[in-house]
Parts: sequence; C-alpha cells; structure tokens
Amino acid sequence: MARRRNVNPPSSIELDMTPMIDIVFQLITFFMFTISFEEIQADERVKLPLDVLAKPPEIKQKHTVVMNIGFLRNVKGERLDPEPLLFNFGAGQKIRPLEAKKYMEQEARLYRLRKVELGDVTIKLRADQEVASGIVQEVIKQCQDAGFSKFAISAVADQ
Amino acid sequence: MKRRPATTSNDKLQLDMTPMIDCTFQLIIFFMLQLKIIQPEGDFNINMPPPGAAAPQVGAIIPDIKVTLKSNPDGSLQSLMLGQRNLGNSPKVFSQLNDEILQIIGKPGDPASQDTEVEIDIDYKLHFKHVVATVSACSGKLDKKGRLVRYIEKIKFTPPKKPL
Repeated sequence: MARRRNVNPPSSIELDMTPMIDIVFQLITFFMFTISFEEIQADERVKLPLDVLAKPPEIKQKHTVVMNIGFLRNVKGERLDPEPLLFNFGAGQKIRPLEAKKYMEQEARLYRLRKVELGDVTIKLRADQEVASGIVQEVIKQCQDAGFSKFAISAVADQ
Repeated sequence: MKRRPATTSNDKLQLDMTPMIDCTFQLIIFFMLQLKIIQPEGDFNINMPPPGAAAPQVGAIIPDIKVTLKSNPDGSLQSLMLGQRNLGNSPKVFSQLNDEILQIIGKPGDPASQDTEVEIDIDYKLHFKHVVATVSACSGKLDKKGRLVRYIEKIKFTPPKKPL
C-alpha cells in the first residue's frame, strides 16, 4: 500500500536569488563601462550627415567650441520651423545662426582673458544634414570675424 | 511559555539579501539614467583663416583644385563640377570625385601633394550633407583594413553667396 504524502505546506518558500543577482551585477558592470561623465555639448536634435570617413579623433582637441545648427522637429522628425536654430547656445534663448557673431566675440574675449590663442581653438560645427550650406558658411564667416580660424565639421560614422 | 526551537548544526545560515538588492537596484537605476546612447562622430578639419590674416603669396591666389556644387531650389544637388568639368549629380558622383582627386595628386601622402589645396564653391541653398560628402571625397578613402588614406588636407570653402 502506498504511503500518503505529507501534505503540510513548508513553513517558508525559499527563492534562489543567485541568477537574479548575477544578472543585476552584469547590468551594473555594463552600465559602468558605458557611462561617460564627460560633458557632451552635442544636441540630439541635430541630424548629422553620415559619412564613412567620420571616425572619432584619436587626440582630443584641447579647446573646442561646439555649435549645433539644426531644426526644431516634432516626434516624426518633421520640421516645425523652416529656419534653423543654434542649439545649446546663449543660455537657452532662441538664437538664429546669423546672430552668432556677438556670442562668438564674447567667446573670443573669454579665451583671450584665459591667455589662449584663438588659433588653438577649434570651432566644431555640428550642422544638420538639411541645413542650407550658406548658413554654415555665414556662421564660419562670423566666427572668422571674431578671430577664430580653425574649424571642423562633424558627421556620423556610416558603418 | 513558548519554547525556543532548538538550533542544530544542520540549520542553514541565512543572510538577509534585501539591503544588497536594494543597493544594486539603486545603482542600476542611477547608471541607466546616466546612459546616453550616442553614435560615434568624426570631424573633418577645414582650413579657414580670417580674410586678410596672411598676405596672399604670388601664384597662390587661385586654388589648385576647385570644386563647385550647384543646388536645385529645394536644396538637392544639381551638379558637381571639378574645375570646369561637370561630373553630374548621380549617386556615384562623390566616388567619381574621389577617383579624380586621386588621379590629380598621383600618390597619396606624396610631399608634393601635401600643399595641394581644394576650394569648394557652394550654392547657398544646398543641403549641408552634400558639402560633407564632397569634403570626405577630397579628404581620402578607407583602405581594405579600414585605415584612412589621406588625399588632401587643405580644404576650404568660398565665402557665402547670399541669393538675390
């Protein structure tokens, strides 16, 4: 005759936490390696052109002024304003690229006060792929008028 | 009075994992909020000294290579010209320009080609992506191992020409 099994429930259910802790530590390790506390002046609203030669520079420029030229877009990516704006510039005001001169002159004064040669400062132009090239040229001209001479145009690595 | 259950050496030592799990989840949330997914970006250097910064040398007024980009009213590329030769506006026009530049400079890295300068004349309305593609085509090419073979370093733009 078969013995009746003990039907009393155990006093406490013990969950094996080891796999969960393993995964949690894997996640922490992943995030720790990918995190960067570097202040990034890039603006995600700017849709940069793609290019195969665009590779992150091996040597970081010491003095860089980043200028993000792009459009206000909705969630679908459609332009809300046909005219481009300068993002992350001038303490959050709406600045048109053609108004950049006074800000660049101010920037140039700051570098001179810090005894930095303007020739050592790179103006990094992060311009949207659909911005009229003439506007980028105008921005370059305004920066030249302020005394800057080194420019770099940004593109996203096309893999 | 209740009797305390007798402890024996067979009982498991129970660690309270709750505080550690709390902390690890806090850490995960912190790192997740800090995470910014950014695509790798690269830069193309443009040599644009202020006008009148250096006295023009004799014979250096005319750039060695001139590339002209003409635009349609909607900002698309109408034509790309190398010197006076129209290379068209097909999707392969930039790789054609790249080949032409290689033919002009001969051998990449040759000291004679290091002083070669390209001037890009751009229509005001042209979308900026075409300018970047032109700068890239003049700058060089990736070899089979993915290393950059530099063609021309000195690239500059003409001053802006506002449409009337």
